Amino acid sequence: MPPTTSIKKVLNTKTLKKSRQSNTRVEDGDDLEEWKKSKQLLRPKDQLELSEGELKDIIARQLGTNDPLIPHNLVQFNYAQGGFELMPPAGPMIVVYEAQGTQVHKESEEAKKQVVEQGLDPAILEISQSTETLAVEEPIPVIPEEVIEEVAAEESEKPEEETEAEEGEGEGEGEGEGEGEGEGESIRPEDDEDKPQTGGKPKKLTNQFNFCERAALTYNNPMRTQETQTIPPPMGTFSANVLQWIIYDAYQEDFEAQQLEKELERERKEKEKAPVSRHQAMAKKLVGKAHQLSEAVQGRVLECWKVLERMVNQNTFDDIAKDYRYWEDPSDEFRDEEGTLLPLWKFHYDKTRKNTVTDIEWNPHYYDLFAVCFGFLDFMKPLEEGAVCLFTLKNPSFPDYICMTDSAVMCVDTHPKYPYMVVIGLYDGSVSVYNVQATCKQPAFRSNNVTNKHRGIVWEVKWAPDLPDGEMNFYSVSEDGKINNWVLMQNDLAVTTIITLFLAKDEVFGPDGTKLKVKGCASCVKFHPKQPLIYLVGTEEGHIYKCSTAYSSMFLLTYEAHHMPVYRIDFNRYNSDIFISCSGDWRIKIWEDNRLEPLFVFDVGACVGDVKWAPYSSTVFAAVTSEGKVYVFDLNVNKYKPICVQAIVSKRRNKLTRISFNPKLPIIIVGDDKGCVQTLKLSPNLRIPCKAPKKQQHLDQWTLQCMKLDKLLSLVREPGALDLPEDTAESIES
Amino acid sequence: MGDGEGREKPEETKKIVHTYPLIRHSDMPEEMKQESMELVVTACEKHSTNNEAAARMIKEEMDKKFGPPFHVVVGEGFGFEISFECQNLLYMFFGGNLAIVIWKC
Repeated sequence: MPPTTSIKKVLNTKTLKKSRQSNTRVEDGDDLEEWKKSKQLLRPKDQLELSEGELKDIIARQLGTNDPLIPHNLVQFNYAQGGFELMPPAGPMIVVYEAQGTQVHKESEEAKKQVVEQGLDPAILEISQSTETLAVEEPIPVIPEEVIEEVAAEESEKPEEETEAEEGEGEGEGEGEGEGEGEGESIRPEDDEDKPQTGGKPKKLTNQFNFCERAALTYNNPMRTQETQTIPPPMGTFSANVLQWIIYDAYQEDFEAQQLEKELERERKEKEKAPVSRHQAMAKKLVGKAHQLSEAVQGRVLECWKVLERMVNQNTFDDIAKDYRYWEDPSDEFRDEEGTLLPLWKFHYDKTRKNTVTDIEWNPHYYDLFAVCFGFLDFMKPLEEGAVCLFTLKNPSFPDYICMTDSAVMCVDTHPKYPYMVVIGLYDGSVSVYNVQATCKQPAFRSNNVTNKHRGIVWEVKWAPDLPDGEMNFYSVSEDGKINNWVLMQNDLAVTTIITLFLAKDEVFGPDGTKLKVKGCASCVKFHPKQPLIYLVGTEEGHIYKCSTAYSSMFLLTYEAHHMPVYRIDFNRYNSDIFISCSGDWRIKIWEDNRLEPLFVFDVGACVGDVKWAPYSSTVFAAVTSEGKVYVFDLNVNKYKPICVQAIVSKRRNKLTRISFNPKLPIIIVGDDKGCVQTLKLSPNLRIPCKAPKKQQHLDQWTLQCMKLDKLLSLVREPGALDLPEDTAESIES
Repeated sequence: MGDGEGREKPEETKKIVHTYPLIRHSDMPEEMKQESMELVVTACEKHSTNNEAAARMIKEEMDKKFGPPFHVVVGEGFGFEISFECQNLLYMFFGGNLAIVIWKC
């Protein structure tokens, strides 16, 4: 059946119904008129009876926008301000029903879109929409919109009517149903055709509220319990009583301990003043406090023993001790010019009886202390060992300090500022510095046996003034022709060669054709007492070189002094321009600076080992010879002969090697080649003080001594030619 | 010389009143000991007439510096028998008549 015809039918019925409805409305208006006319006014009994005038009175009515039902004084409690607050009056609108706007009417455009886009259950949609599509989609080409609405309304009404009049209108409706089914079938193909279009582009609608919750429960790990207990902190118990006397005693005890410590500290500091070797430093670290204490105790005991020993010695040598101080030879008064030497103590040390005394020197600080070197000078019988001993006049039986060495000691010098610092030069060419206060067992400093040493006997060592940094330093002269300056560094000796004594000779051909410059062999050195740079060097060739530490390659002056090795040089104490030299050529010569010829020459008939100016007189000097004699000259008394010649040791067996004046007392010490040191006292004739002239009584001894020497020198100085004859004419026979 | 010294000495010993801090017994580490000693000196000088206040000050400072609980006794005469945590005991004299015990337990 073609659909168009069926729609027409429906339309017909609709128009009919509509016309019926409009008729009824017109009838209702007529009824009201009729009702009004027939109505009787009923009055309430209590109604006011108003007069005509009153009734005519026009009472004005005002119409306002105010709604009297709306409350104007709504308040609300404001917690922030803590008080009531007027609320704005609500508007005149009254909400009767409210529904949330999330719903969309399913027939609206939006809903349709959503359905299509979601592609939800097409089957359900078909059923629900089948009727609608029929109504909606079919009429579009032919029928205007108004009609469609009517159709939809009719169809929704239809089922109701059907249920109401099921039985009465069975036949008529049967047709209608059949038609409906037919329509449904006929429409389906069209629906099918549409389907691919909607399903073709399924678009997922994002909806943040559309989520599903998922959860999972995992297995629980098995539990285990573990326990541990820490070790409690170590505890201790302590108990004491506090009483005033306990406090007092504790303070006393502590104070005493402090005093003791201070004392020890002072002692230690005194020791530390002198630089100590690293050996000692290490040793100091090792020893504990207790050890130090015991050392201190030992030191005290040792001190006591020393005093005792000295007392015993003083007792034994009582007569000598008295002579040493008080005995003046009365026979001098009857002798015109000559004097004598009074032998006092003899000093020797058992272990060095075989050694020769190679050097003796009074300590610059302690007038009764002197250092003696034990070495050897007879080079046909070398000795293995040497020693330095410090003797004191107070104990003639045993040296105060003994420093044994493994080589013969050839020279010694004591530091003028630090009288415990003793430097020695050895036969093997090395030098050592002893801090006798710290220890005598090993040197505080020692030159390296391989690299830092002289290649010959060290003949003399001499302390130099301290460097600006306070470092001690000394000079050494050696047979190898070198003069070295040694600086005492923290741990070792730093050496610099000051000068090498090259002879003014042509180079000599060595055995293999090389050329060698001949070096002089230095045998002694003496520093100028006033000019620290200037020094004199005596050599085994017999020359005396005047050098300066500032120049390392040239000599300021060369004296052709002797024909045999120069053994010792000494500056005059009063006039530093005058110096004396002695030599193996039997002669003693007195020189003036810058004068190449000697002022005096004395021949003593034997090898002169040492010569020294006296500290108390400008014209007195003493010399020792290998014949065992001591010569004392006083130029003021006799310019040609010694005023004292005395044999100290036996001529045949012994030789005298060194001599030294005590700086304070009228005592000299002489050393011999049997390791023995003899103390001699000078008789009054040998130490005559200057008598001031009557006119110049105010002058002191020093100026008088200088004047005496100047007067003497002026006699010999004038004619240079006279010096030469003196050399031969004034030689004396012993 | 010797006589002069001899005469002076007995007078000296009579005069001297020691007031310096004197550690009688301590097992503290050196640094801690020094710090504690200084603290004691400060406290006892500050509260020279009030031992209780001094003790309080020492205790509180010690607690702050080395962690509680410290105990402090300051007094001129007392006896004590304490058990203490090792390395935390200081028994010292100060000012000539005060004894101070500090310990941790």
